[in-house]
Amino acid sequence: MTRRGPISRAFLFLFLVIALPAAAQEEDRISRLEQKLDELLRQASAIREELNALRGGTEAAQTLSEVELVTPDSPPSATSLADVQTVDNQASPGAAKALNPDMSVVGTLLSHAGDNFEERAPFALDEVEVALEAFIDPYAKGRFFIAVTPEEVDVEEGYAQFVTLPWGLTAKAGKTKATFGKANTWHTHNRPWADQPLMVTRFLGEEGLADVGVSVSRTIDNPFGAFIEATGEVYSGDVEGTFGRGADNDLLYNAHLKFFRDLTENSNVEVGTSWARGTLPEGEGHNRLAGVDVTYRWKPLSRALYNSLIARVEAIAAERSDFDRALYGYYASLDYQLARRWFAGARIDRADGFQDDSRFTDRGLSASLTFWPSQFSQLRGQYRRTTLHGGPSFNEFLLQLQFAIGAHGAHSF
Amino acid sequence: MKQTIIAFALSLLAGSALAAPAKLRVVTSSADLASITREVGGELVDVTSIARGYQDPHFVEPKPSFLLLLKNADLLMVIGLDLEIGWLPPLIDQSRNAKIRPGSSGYLDVSRGVEILDRPAGAVNRSMGDVHPLGNPHYWLDPANAVRIAIQAAKKLEELQPANAAVFQKRLNDFKGRMNAADLRWTAALAPYKGAKIVTYHNSWPNFMRRYGIDVVDFVEPKPGVPPSPSHLFQLIRMMKEQRVKVIVMEPYFDHKTPQSVADRTGAKLVVLYPSVGGAKTGSDDYFQLFDLNIATLIEALKN
Repeated sequence: MTRRGPISRAFLFLFLVIALPAAAQEEDRISRLEQKLDELLRQASAIREELNALRGGTEAAQTLSEVELVTPDSPPSATSLADVQTVDNQASPGAAKALNPDMSVVGTLLSHAGDNFEERAPFALDEVEVALEAFIDPYAKGRFFIAVTPEEVDVEEGYAQFVTLPWGLTAKAGKTKATFGKANTWHTHNRPWADQPLMVTRFLGEEGLADVGVSVSRTIDNPFGAFIEATGEVYSGDVEGTFGRGADNDLLYNAHLKFFRDLTENSNVEVGTSWARGTLPEGEGHNRLAGVDVTYRWKPLSRALYNSLIARVEAIAAERSDFDRALYGYYASLDYQLARRWFAGARIDRADGFQDDSRFTDRGLSASLTFWPSQFSQLRGQYRRTTLHGGPSFNEFLLQLQFAIGAHGAHSF
Repeated sequence: MKQTIIAFALSLLAGSALAAPAKLRVVTSSADLASITREVGGELVDVTSIARGYQDPHFVEPKPSFLLLLKNADLLMVIGLDLEIGWLPPLIDQSRNAKIRPGSSGYLDVSRGVEILDRPAGAVNRSMGDVHPLGNPHYWLDPANAVRIAIQAAKKLEELQPANAAVFQKRLNDFKGRMNAADLRWTAALAPYKGAKIVTYHNSWPNFMRRYGIDVVDFVEPKPGVPPSPSHLFQLIRMMKEQRVKVIVMEPYFDHKTPQSVADRTGAKLVVLYPSVGGAKTGSDDYFQLFDLNIATLIEALKN
């Protein structure tokens, strides 16, 4: 056994002092290179995936059990901060508009011929409805419907709809169409007719029952498998021709109870009752309204594009402090879809009125034929016979063209 | 006596504590999503679809009865790409369920993770018909996208019910395996017809036909959602004769009169393929059956 001299020991020591850190450095370099290689391989496979996606994924020879999500987000890069490069974000010119509300305009052109007891023009741009809709924040949606008619520019509806309330509630605050029956809640372009039934214009106002206030509704659980919804509304009480306000407390109250049930997969029935109470337009005395509406719908799911039927009846009773008898009104209508773009409809109408302490009754009969070139336009012809005060009858022909542009939010049922 | 009461009370307590966690209530906009989610969720989920397989998914009526479903849902899964734009937003607004609003944890738009075709390159407008500005929403008819839908469903179910993550993963892997085996079978069956030219009524089949190499040369609709005009049909008939197109494919919810008359004049065969699970009265109860049925029908027509 040879004994190591002090010199060789010193060499060994020197070697260890120099070589070990060098070896460690080498190790470090290799592992960094390995990391880089891994990163490059990852990038290469990302590029390959992208290429496959661009070529159309089926060309990739992968099996379905290896299919991955297609995602626009690239995997986060694992490079060290020393290697960070700038990101080339493409300017997206449309992005600034992303928060714009959905905007749409619906035009209604109405042409009139025949006995002219309402002094209608032969052609009129009856209404232009501008609709703006968007989320306000995570809790509410904002909706504005501005109606431009030959007479005026009016906020038809403009409200915030609170959609995330607790206890099964939803609420609207602003100007809304009162939930009184069915016809009152529709906008011009949603109506199955070119006009409004006499019942609506006589009892609820020329423009319908719409006012500024708050509407709250709640669903009611029930054992019948039905959708039951109760709505309560308070309005400031100014509705032209129907309600007015003598004092600050003369508010308009409205309530609606809706019952909906599927009868079969293809048919369903809806029954609603409504009550409204407010002050007469003169600012004194009360006006109380009660209504009932029944809607039956039939639409066979597999033929839904081509055939459907809707039967509607709405009736109303009014009790006013300026007239000693109750006033009644109703309409009943039937609409049948003949073909994909063709609809035929009929309606009977009746509404009481009063003059000089005596009650009179007006009646109407209508038949209509509607053609839809597309979902965004429709042409409707309507024959209407109106008998006023049980006396003279007027025959009219209305031709209505409606056309919509822009993104119009879907309507509720 | 006292002891019995105590024992009874204890057993009640124990019973309620040991009761299995409630099933996740999933509502899907289409029957296909429902079928795929059932594959992943199995007994742990209760899945209901709003649209039926035999109805046009673009035109579903937003009936209040659907609100009853949505009100209690833990998860709403949608096809997206504006397919449901005409009916789902008012249902969500009236659902009184903040969990399933877009952006919330109980809302899953599976178009975010699938391969989408026919994305319009430039600006779109309605002179082009009822185009989908975000791309063709009928993407679920590619088995690879079915797997991608399943992956997303599993991820979401895990998120909502972490205790059962392993079950969802296992079922997902099982689904992937079965889907792969089935796809190999379907690909082999259709291999002899690769490159065959067909016409379809609506553009519902780009993902399906591309996967199996069938060439869709035109549509009975001149533009998406627009019923055919005589001049378009005239051109279509001429083109079909020139290119010897022998098959017209239509969806079950369209009227067969027009495509049948085109078929009669060109000697082509009109067949109904079902774009959604449950579209046919029998034999389309899940995603696998749907493809078995469609592919058998298509082969039968292409044979001639």
